[in-house]
Amino acid sequence: MRKLIGFVAALALTTSAVAAEQFVVYASRSFVRWGPAAAIEQAFEAAHPGVDLVWVAPAGAAEMLSRLIAELSTGRTDADVFLGITAGSLPRALAEGLFRPFDPDLIPNLAFVPDDLRVDPSGHVLPFDHGYIAFVASPALAEDLLPRSFADLLRPELRGKIILQDPRTSETGLAFLLWTVAHFGEDWPEYWRALLPNLLTITRGWTEAFAMFEAGEAPLVLSYSTDAAYAYLTVGEAKYRVLTLDGEGYRLIEGLGIVRTTRRPELAHAFIDIVLSPEIQALIPTSQWMFPVHSGVELVPDFARLAVVPEHPVFLDPGEVAEHLDDWISQWQALLGG
Amino acid sequence: MAGPPRRLTGRRAAGAALALLPLLFLGVAFFWPLWDVLRLGLQVDGRWTGERLQAALSDPYVRRLILFTLEQAALSALLSLLLGFPLGWFLTRYRFPGRGLLRAFTIVPFVLPSITVALGFVLFFGRSGYLNRFLMAVLGLGEPPIQVLYTLWAVVLAHAFYNAPVVARFVNAAWERADPTPVEAARTLGARPLRAFFTVTLPLLLPAVLSALALVFVLCTLSFSIPLALGGARYATVEVGVYLYARGVVASFPRAAALAILTLGLSLVLTYLHLWGGGTFSARQGGVGLAPTVPLFTRSRPSRALWLLYLLPAAVVFLGPIAAVIADSFLHPAPGGASPTLHWYRMILSPAWNPFIESSPLAAVRTSLVVGGGATALSLVLGLSVSAVLRRVRSRVLETVLMAPLAVSSVVLGLALLLAFRRPPLSALGGGWAIVLAHTLIVYPFVVRAIRPLWDALDPALPEAARALGASPFIAFRTVTLPLLGGGVLAAGAFAFALSLGEMTAVAMLSGPGVMTMPMAIYHFLGSRDFGAASAMATVLMGTTALAAWAWDRAGSRWLKRDGASADSRPPAENAPLSFASPPGGGEGRVRGNPPPSGPKPSTSRSAARPFGRFHA
Repeated sequence: MRKLIGFVAALALTTSAVAAEQFVVYASRSFVRWGPAAAIEQAFEAAHPGVDLVWVAPAGAAEMLSRLIAELSTGRTDADVFLGITAGSLPRALAEGLFRPFDPDLIPNLAFVPDDLRVDPSGHVLPFDHGYIAFVASPALAEDLLPRSFADLLRPELRGKIILQDPRTSETGLAFLLWTVAHFGEDWPEYWRALLPNLLTITRGWTEAFAMFEAGEAPLVLSYSTDAAYAYLTVGEAKYRVLTLDGEGYRLIEGLGIVRTTRRPELAHAFIDIVLSPEIQALIPTSQWMFPVHSGVELVPDFARLAVVPEHPVFLDPGEVAEHLDDWISQWQALLGG
Repeated sequence: MAGPPRRLTGRRAAGAALALLPLLFLGVAFFWPLWDVLRLGLQVDGRWTGERLQAALSDPYVRRLILFTLEQAALSALLSLLLGFPLGWFLTRYRFPGRGLLRAFTIVPFVLPSITVALGFVLFFGRSGYLNRFLMAVLGLGEPPIQVLYTLWAVVLAHAFYNAPVVARFVNAAWERADPTPVEAARTLGARPLRAFFTVTLPLLLPAVLSALALVFVLCTLSFSIPLALGGARYATVEVGVYLYARGVVASFPRAAALAILTLGLSLVLTYLHLWGGGTFSARQGGVGLAPTVPLFTRSRPSRALWLLYLLPAAVVFLGPIAAVIADSFLHPAPGGASPTLHWYRMILSPAWNPFIESSPLAAVRTSLVVGGGATALSLVLGLSVSAVLRRVRSRVLETVLMAPLAVSSVVLGLALLLAFRRPPLSALGGGWAIVLAHTLIVYPFVVRAIRPLWDALDPALPEAARALGASPFIAFRTVTLPLLGGGVLAAGAFAFALSLGEMTAVAMLSGPGVMTMPMAIYHFLGSRDFGAASAMATVLMGTTALAAWAWDRAGSRWLKRDGASADSRPPAENAPLSFASPPGGGEGRVRGNPPPSGPKPSTSRSAARPFGRFHA
């Protein structure tokens, strides 16, 4: 019996890892791995002594969002704030009622965010960075094979050389699916079918895709238009080539929202204000490798020079996404078998 | 053997009371949660209907999941046969130093957590993995020659890794039991060895081979961690589908429940077919005696070269991935070449929160041990009480009810508990309990299988004597029966612990912030490609599991030797490692190996002491 009590006590210890004084943020793995998560945590905990900011980020943003939906649909989640939602997932998040409306008065730094970045007129989700989806090539890919158009990606020489992300679990992958829909209209499944042989694999999240790319598993990866700046500013040479397709790049705005069930809305607002503060926003370009949303932040010159802004940014109307996304995902799933 | 004592009505009342404990537990932790899944999958607006199942089945994606599941299982079974049959032959026919060790080695896959195999495959067979780097350096190639990762074959090969030893064990056991006289007669009558093999030996082995194939097919159909970790988005099985719908993809519990019901049906059909087949095959088994064992290293036949041609690739497939994991855990990769380091071990023993595994690594290690201990304790209590009930009340219906969790795959169990822990009464418990309960339900049937035959073999006069001297039933059990079962209970406990440590399927469904075990942490490390940390954690996990397996082996064999309860013709020590009949299938996919109500009762100690006793009895 003593042993049983000891065991119960031990189990209670392990399960109480998320205790009352902790503030839990669900985020994409890439944000915590690359972005200014540590700086945010430091600033937040300094401003709120006694509160422990806990990042939970074992997967890509879309997968984390699904998990939040699953948890809320049956009543219980640990999350107070969700960080990493994009326009592609926004309709689903709003339909599920994941977030409570934010109070602009409690987020002074919101005043510095330009209107055209505010993707959610309903006032539930705020932007914290933005950028463009593009393909990125490593030096292993011969100059004449660099794809410049959607058609180039289908070249037989690229067989098994491209890494994509799963649109069901990754916001980056979802953005590419939407991009092909925007580019090809109803014919997008045909394009995907032709593209499949050239894919090495479809990963769950962007983080493993980019890590595989950096390890040399494949010379082409679906990533961001800022990756040349990343390579230049971290290793001193612009070894990666950013490739827009037919001059296009898909517009991605990443946002965050306050989870409906949070018991600490004032802390959530304070957290958001810190994320939008000029100090944190100034870190976004050279850590998260995205553009900041704070209009007062100056870009590092090399970043401004090397981060590619596509000639034709592509962005699918959220209303259309809301209406068709489930269909598109089903169709996409169905064509996976090739 | 102990007959069911039914003389006293008081006894029957006590039996009924005893049956209440496991029934109550199973009711709350198993049947009610399972009912939730059935309702979610089969009810629309409170009305029972097959709509959700139909909708799932008409979804091309779900159809593809099912087809792929069956396809990879068939390929895996065939490849396991191809790799495992020669090993079985090798073990039967040749005598060589280390044969016993190699034979013991065939149980390693049963206790090796499958996520560590997946990790090993990525590290070893990856484009920039050990094998390709070695081959590129030796052959001077510019491109990696082995391109198996990211394809269907990665999944199949990993499954073969697991299950070839199963085939080898089946073949070896059948061969050693086969009557050698027909082969000798054929040879005497002038048949060449090859002809004798194909016309006499092979037909004799066929039942065992088919049994093994069927078992491997079932195991691979219900496999989870390997397709999850190696399949990418394109190669997912139904089990992975349930997980994706419940926790990952377009989160949809009703679709997850519909898929769970499909996979439940699939596993029931397969289990039935498998048992039906197994029964038929075992009926045709007969004969005694051992095949001659030829010394390997005195032969100067070309067959030696052939064996090298087999043994070398087999050793590469079997040892390469595991060696890669262990090596990687001690290496710090650098552009110029790796250097030895203990960095990864410091990292995985750190108490600092790691957002990517949503726990601290140290807490994951601790949770694994605590959950393993809890599941072991609970499954021993549950296993003993179920055994006690089934001894007293010989009812097929009751046996089916009390052993029902065997027929439910881990992912379905996970989904059921995931739903159940969100409503009372279970919602009052912490998230760690969900995993403990899941593991208890997964493990206790094996405890029952291990303990029941031993208990049946016990002389009933001993506890009767204690009772006659005035001991209460509980005291008689504690002071007489339990000590007599001793080693068997210890061995079952160690086995339960090893199984719980490696289990990842239920954990994948039930983990949450702060509730993380070692296998799932390895999966997350693998997902973020922290190979060093993943390898270090995997090495610790393999070490702990090996320790538990060793304890299981020691406890089992020592007990068997002392007691002599095993009526097996083979020396007990050799049987002990697999004395729990059904292999756990790499720590997660379970064999639904319990005899069905219609099957023969495992009432003799033979079936307990011998691996896969049911198939050869």
